Amino acid sequence: MSLVAGPGRGGLGDGQFSQNPKLCVDKHVAYIQSLDQRRDELDYWLTEHLRVSGIYWGLTALHLLGHPDALPRDDLLKYIISCFCDDGGFGAAPGHDSHMLYTLSAVQVLVTLDALEEFEQQIPRGKDKIGRFIADLQNRESGTFAGDRWGEEDTRFMFAGLLALSLLHLKHLVDIDKCVQYVKSCQNFDGAYGVSPGAESHSARVYTCVGTLALAGRLDAADTDALAGWLSERQLPNGGLNGRPEKLEDVCYSWWVLSSMAMIGRLHWIDKDRLTSFIFQCQDPENGGIADRPGDMVDVFHTHFGLAGLSLLGQPGLAEVDPTYCMPKQVVERVLNG
Amino acid sequence: MASHGVSRPAVAAVKSEQARRQELAEIEKYKSLSELVNKKKAENDLSLDALDLTTKLVSLNPEYYTLWNYRRLILLRLFEQEQGNGGSTGSEATDALSPRQQVVEELITADLQFLIPLFFKNPKCYWLWNHRDWLLQQAQAQLPPVTALKLWQGELSLVGKMLSLDSRNFHGWGYRRTVIAKLEQLQDTNMAESEFEYTTKVIKASLSNFSAWHYRGNLIPRLLDSCQADSTTRRKRLNDEFKFIEQALWTDPYDQSLWGYHQLLILNIVPTAGRQSFVSDLTNSERLDLLEREFKGTRDLLEGAEKCKWIYQALLQYAELYLELDASNRLFTTQDLRHWLDQLKELDTLRTGRWNDLEKKLNL
Ligand SMILES: [Zn+2]
Repeated sequence: MSLVAGPGRGGLGDGQFSQNPKLCVDKHVAYIQSLDQRRDELDYWLTEHLRVSGIYWGLTALHLLGHPDALPRDDLLKYIISCFCDDGGFGAAPGHDSHMLYTLSAVQVLVTLDALEEFEQQIPRGKDKIGRFIADLQNRESGTFAGDRWGEEDTRFMFAGLLALSLLHLKHLVDIDKCVQYVKSCQNFDGAYGVSPGAESHSARVYTCVGTLALAGRLDAADTDALAGWLSERQLPNGGLNGRPEKLEDVCYSWWVLSSMAMIGRLHWIDKDRLTSFIFQCQDPENGGIADRPGDMVDVFHTHFGLAGLSLLGQPGLAEVDPTYCMPKQVVERVLNG
Repeated sequence: MASHGVSRPAVAAVKSEQARRQELAEIEKYKSLSELVNKKKAENDLSLDALDLTTKLVSLNPEYYTLWNYRRLILLRLFEQEQGNGGSTGSEATDALSPRQQVVEELITADLQFLIPLFFKNPKCYWLWNHRDWLLQQAQAQLPPVTALKLWQGELSLVGKMLSLDSRNFHGWGYRRTVIAKLEQLQDTNMAESEFEYTTKVIKASLSNFSAWHYRGNLIPRLLDSCQADSTTRRKRLNDEFKFIEQALWTDPYDQSLWGYHQLLILNIVPTAGRQSFVSDLTNSERLDLLEREFKGTRDLLEGAEKCKWIYQALLQYAELYLELDASNRLFTTQDLRHWLDQLKELDTLRTGRWNDLEKKLNL
């Protein structure tokens, strides 16, 4: 899965914005399928450190598009397993060190492919090993998590750890009450959350904090109306959403902001139609893919988050996405109830 | 991430033959260097030569996080080696550097320097901040406090430079907090006052800086606590801040970041469960007076700015708070509330659902 940007640009496939844009399902499928054939571009190699996440973005996008089998399952599985490290985590690509972010992506892919059993056949007690890798990264004093053994802490890693453990039915390995306390300590007067106590509110961090509360079953700890008010102000006149005040709109915030609003039941506090048409304008209608904003180059990251956002907005023709797990709802239900 | 704001003009779908050949050559160069480094890493080669190779590769691709990990392993080994080569540990308690510490200091300083141009090229790369943080932690663990302090002071001027280039850099503000916390710890001082002055300077240069207002708001309680401010000083601070923000609001009532700060001050008048005020001993009548004054001031802003949605939003929010304090309300009528809400609905059609919910909540 290549993380190379382009070749197309959002909204500019035919040289101008289409009057009545539609969701270009087939183009997006073809775009994602084509990504691994771009090894003759330098960027293909320069983005190797994101490869496993790239697979998660591409695969999830395909599921939402209703083409879950558009990539060769065996190849994906083999690749993911080849990223498994001795310490129980996953690296971004074979030979790369393990890290929480790629461990989450790998677990999400394994679950989406319904391949946990095959994984365990090749890596005996593999699930337990992953569970221990994640649990060992929790700071038992503050509750938050490091990303790897080098110790950088961030609410992203806390949420990623809990999410992966939840998919593996191993949440009991960590101190969840401490996670909730830590989330509370990151809350600002505006009801939103920053990356650490005292840090300015930021949409992506709101997602990780609200997601943590959702996984802990403690959404009551959020200041719902203030938070939803702050999130709703992220919508700009062109319909797009930004990450914090005075910043530009960007398709990936369709996910960080919308999913948080969905989790706290306030999706109706923004204009869904205008956001939908903003995301539509970021599509390349000719070559497929979605960009961060109209006129920029498309990539698989924004393609995935754009489609996930559209799914939350109830776009016909897309499978339903789960706002906490950012995976197809059907998959999440299968694994949690199975 | 993958591509933010990449607006390269019409990337040619078909590259020229020459451009294609050049790109393939670059790929080969990158791949063979990468293979070499990975081979050294697999062999657990922790030599200076290996360090130089990671320097080359990570300069081409600072996002290659595994390289930073490898680099740290090499540095740790080099630190240790120097320990083995003499330099008694006994002398390390003093400020003078032992020969071992001199080498450690040189290695750390060189790596800190190496990172700087990479920062300016990749201001959003997490791994760079991560590595820098690790280097400074090492400095603190391995070098005398005076030397570590000098390095951290260098960080303060670096982060000042970064923020003067991009005054909203998220990492920059976060790093500033880290640096200050460290400097306070190492010097056993409180820098809230000089940091507070820093925010005044940044805000005066440009009012529209949400990050600076946010930082300022968080500094106030620390500033007051650090000088054990009495209740008069605390009240004065609250009033001074109101004056400061009101001047700004008169300049530009359409600026969202200013309203954020005004709201923060208002919430200090009316603390709720879980949120403390920096003037904790306000009496109920003081609260009412302050809220009334601010409410009227906000209402006055409408003159000449009738189309400013933030004012209506603030009035409705403050009205709600006011009603919680004083149900006998002499400040506004239900008709006022109705009017402001109607204005808001008209001006802010993106958030109609939110205003409909508010309408229900206020029983209008
Ligand atoms: Zn984005």
